[in-house]
Amino acid sequence: MTPEIGHFALALALALALIQSILPILGAARNDVVWMKSAVWTSVAQTVFVGIAFAALMTAFVTSDFTVLNVIENSHSLKPLLFKISGTWGSHEGSLLLWVLILAVFGALVALLGNNIAEGTKARTLSVQAWISVGFLSFMLFTSNPFDRVFPPPLDGQDLNPLLQDVGLAMHPPLLYLGYVGFSIVFSFAVAALIEGRVDAAWARWVRPWALAAWVFLTAGIALGSWWAYYELGWGGWWFWDPVENVSFMPWLMGTALLHSAIVTEKRGAFKSWTILLAILTFSLSLLGTFIVRSGLLTSVHAFAVDPERGFYILGLLAVSIGGSFALYAWRAPSMEGGGLFKPVSREAGLLVNNLILATATGIVLFGTLYPLFYEALNDGQKLSVGPPFFNAGFIPVILPLVFMMGLGPFLSWKRANVGTVAARLKWVAVLSVGFGLVLWYLVRGGPILGYLSLMLAAWLLFATLREWALRIRLFEESFRVTMRRARNLPRASWGMTIAHGGLAIAIFGFVGSSVWKSEQILFVSPGTEISIAGFDVTFTGAEQIRGPNYVAERGTLSVRRNGEDLGFLYPERRYYPVADSSTTESSIRSTVAGDLYASLAQPASENVEGANVWTLRILYEPLVMLIWIGSSLLVLGGTISLTDRRLRVGAPRRTAASQPAPLPIAGE
Amino acid sequence: MIWIIFAALSAAAVGFMLMSLRPQKAALGRSELSRAIFEDQLAEIDRDEKRGVISGDEATAARAEVSRNILKASRMGSSGTRQMDTTSRMGILLATLLVPAITFGYYTKFGNPDILSLSVADRAAERQERDEVVALASRLETELQAHPEGGPSEGWMLLGQTRMRLGDYARAADAYSVVADRDEADSAVFSMLAEALIAQEQGVVTPRADAAIARARELNPMNPAGTFYAALSLEQSGQGGAAHDLLIERLDLADGYYPWMDTLIAQANRIGASIGRDPISVAQFAPMATQPGPTQDQVAAAQDMSEEDRAAFITSMVDRLATRLEDEPDDLDGWLRLANAYTVLGRQAEAVTAYETAVSLADALPDTDPRKAAAEQGLASLRD
Repeated sequence: MTPEIGHFALALALALALIQSILPILGAARNDVVWMKSAVWTSVAQTVFVGIAFAALMTAFVTSDFTVLNVIENSHSLKPLLFKISGTWGSHEGSLLLWVLILAVFGALVALLGNNIAEGTKARTLSVQAWISVGFLSFMLFTSNPFDRVFPPPLDGQDLNPLLQDVGLAMHPPLLYLGYVGFSIVFSFAVAALIEGRVDAAWARWVRPWALAAWVFLTAGIALGSWWAYYELGWGGWWFWDPVENVSFMPWLMGTALLHSAIVTEKRGAFKSWTILLAILTFSLSLLGTFIVRSGLLTSVHAFAVDPERGFYILGLLAVSIGGSFALYAWRAPSMEGGGLFKPVSREAGLLVNNLILATATGIVLFGTLYPLFYEALNDGQKLSVGPPFFNAGFIPVILPLVFMMGLGPFLSWKRANVGTVAARLKWVAVLSVGFGLVLWYLVRGGPILGYLSLMLAAWLLFATLREWALRIRLFEESFRVTMRRARNLPRASWGMTIAHGGLAIAIFGFVGSSVWKSEQILFVSPGTEISIAGFDVTFTGAEQIRGPNYVAERGTLSVRRNGEDLGFLYPERRYYPVADSSTTESSIRSTVAGDLYASLAQPASENVEGANVWTLRILYEPLVMLIWIGSSLLVLGGTISLTDRRLRVGAPRRTAASQPAPLPIAGE
Repeated sequence: MIWIIFAALSAAAVGFMLMSLRPQKAALGRSELSRAIFEDQLAEIDRDEKRGVISGDEATAARAEVSRNILKASRMGSSGTRQMDTTSRMGILLATLLVPAITFGYYTKFGNPDILSLSVADRAAERQERDEVVALASRLETELQAHPEGGPSEGWMLLGQTRMRLGDYARAADAYSVVADRDEADSAVFSMLAEALIAQEQGVVTPRADAAIARARELNPMNPAGTFYAALSLEQSGQGGAAHDLLIERLDLADGYYPWMDTLIAQANRIGASIGRDPISVAQFAPMATQPGPTQDQVAAAQDMSEEDRAAFITSMVDRLATRLEDEPDDLDGWLRLANAYTVLGRQAEAVTAYETAVSLADALPDTDPRKAAAEQGLASLRD
């Protein structure tokens, strides 16, 4: 019965979304406050019913109800509870349900929290949001229903892909989707503004918290996915320029540009078209990502052709939403009046360069991601892969100037900046970072010059960010008490920027260190084999069979020593899941800030060498890799702190205050 | 029960829709909201100047710009919003009606309200039973293989049927093949072999299955299972019309109602729908067999099963109904269905008990209620 309640609730949500896609926007056109307000209630109701559907599916997974086809295909009664729960969104159908749930939640949040948003804008925005809901709910109900039933039910299920049975990956899709789908509301705001024909500071202020929230989630989702790939796939890499990664990275790049562009629109009334375009592009890339991942296009263009119903449905959705919004943009954007003027050297110009670089970088990633798909479609199924060499050669040189600009930008004042002042303030930063690069080169030697250049730029970004912060709080210029008071009074948004920019600088150290100065060995080992890597002496002492809840594993033991000092053991595992009939590697990592010693057990070599106790071991040393996770966490933290800035939350005058303007309360002063 | 929940969910959706009709506070205009934001910007400039982030000149210039924006925003004017009028009320009411209409329209077409949920915890007995059956089947196979004369045919057939029920179609086909190779093999052996071979290929009739079907029909042209699979084979080779005719032909030969007729009719209707023939019903072939049967969905679920699976399916449905009625003894319709099911399955004593319960429940009903008469008639017919 529960699955049917879920199915029925989903149908109710579709009906409500259909109403919401029409009534409020008509209300905005005829200035009917009742119709406009109906969007608030339909948004909330949609969330309630999609929530019920999601709970019903989760119940089916948790209780292992094999009358539900989706549970049969993606679960097993012996699976640990956590992975039964995460199985809910582990499948195509379930992840769509999660997608729609998040879509509905964002709509409801805007409906409930957006008291400061003008009624007409809110109604139009929520109607546009409902268009997306209608598209995805109907896609789900007509081509990918998570509540398809089977009777009589089989006694057990076919299990979830064991690679996905992992805590990091259990959390990865929800976060990623919170980001992807979070940008839907920004898209809806943009389309609503185009329909209304009005973009101003108020609009930018309404949009910013949502864009920032989505960006924070997307950042966390990508970082978590990367972390998962690092310790679960057993290859020791954290980014593979894989299409699935790229499609999440592109909305992130565009979303980052959008965040910065919206600041200019709010503060200076400029970049209106840019901000709207970036909002459309960011969500379009999210949709493209969903399409590429969900249509089976990645496995092969032919896999798409075999089951074309789903693929064409999403392709249609994509064409309508992206094509429609671009057409609307082409029609309405030219009529938007321009904003404040600015000089070539100014904060605005800096952020314009930022927009351009991020857009170019996105274009490169997009090209590298789509080119193999087109190639395969046009060349009769011949596959071609575009790998790290293309992206490293194309992406890195484009993005490095951005790192330079990130250090410089915050020193530029709005409208026109004084080159002399900026140069004076950054003089020591420049000297320090160049010095850092030279000292590093002297100490390390070896490795490509681009590696040193990248680290020098990362240092520049870190020092410049700290310098800007020191300048704001007058560090060492005033007494300690004054400095502390100034730090306390600094707007949260400033803190957010400092932390996020600093976080990126730290992450760059990790990116560069772990890829350029990585040591790797792949070798056959048998008990007693000694390996020496990056100053560590590692001894393979043997392997044993162990048994987990739904798998059996071979676990190797490695003892680690450095300079004669005992540093403990590593236990890499190779797990076999009998129900799904597949194997995974569980790497074992010794992490320190200086670097990770990473071991993973590959296929047992004893299959080849009969009777011998020989194993294939992959062992790596990756310097500074932990800085990637620290830096990403700081990016997320910075975004979150910025999100709590009162300027993003306040903005609605009380009804009484409108006739008698009183200064708004100012926090901390 | 489930429809009550659906009604409650729909009522909640309607409730949400009607919330819009509550009296509204006048909404803030766009200009007022913009103005508030510009004033906030002015305050920020003051703070920045006080903090020394910008110079006095810059602050003055910035203030002038924000003030111009404030002027511009107030020039845009605030168009007042319309209050609730008849059109808006009617619009909301119409939309409110559409919500349950769309939902029920969709759900009655695509939903499966009759399929119960069954969690693993509810099915411990079923599992244990399965494990025992698996063990018994293996033992039986070992014994048959060890038998000096190749084992009795009944033993192999039992093994095949058991393996079919376990979903182990390939090994079921192996067991049937042993008997099919013997001279004593009759039509039923070949139709069961065909069934196992087809199930093994997810419903596709392979040449080997075709040969088994042909042999089954050769040995006994009246074997309904042989006809069923022959029709399936014809349909898969693109001869839908011939398949349909074949099924009708066999149904016409029936001299009363037999349970297999439902399966042939469902199959004929499925094939008929794709080639534009009118649906047929069991009443055309066996007029007395018009008792309330299983629902459409259950028939649909049953149509692709083997005879054995179907028997197991019906038994499990009936048992589940009986269990449910222990918890909900006041469900008159349920008791009538159960009594009817027991009658069809030939479980006479249980049928009588179920009808007696139904009669006592129906006692309080007015005489015009058809269920009262149905219960009494059912009981009477069994006591004759």
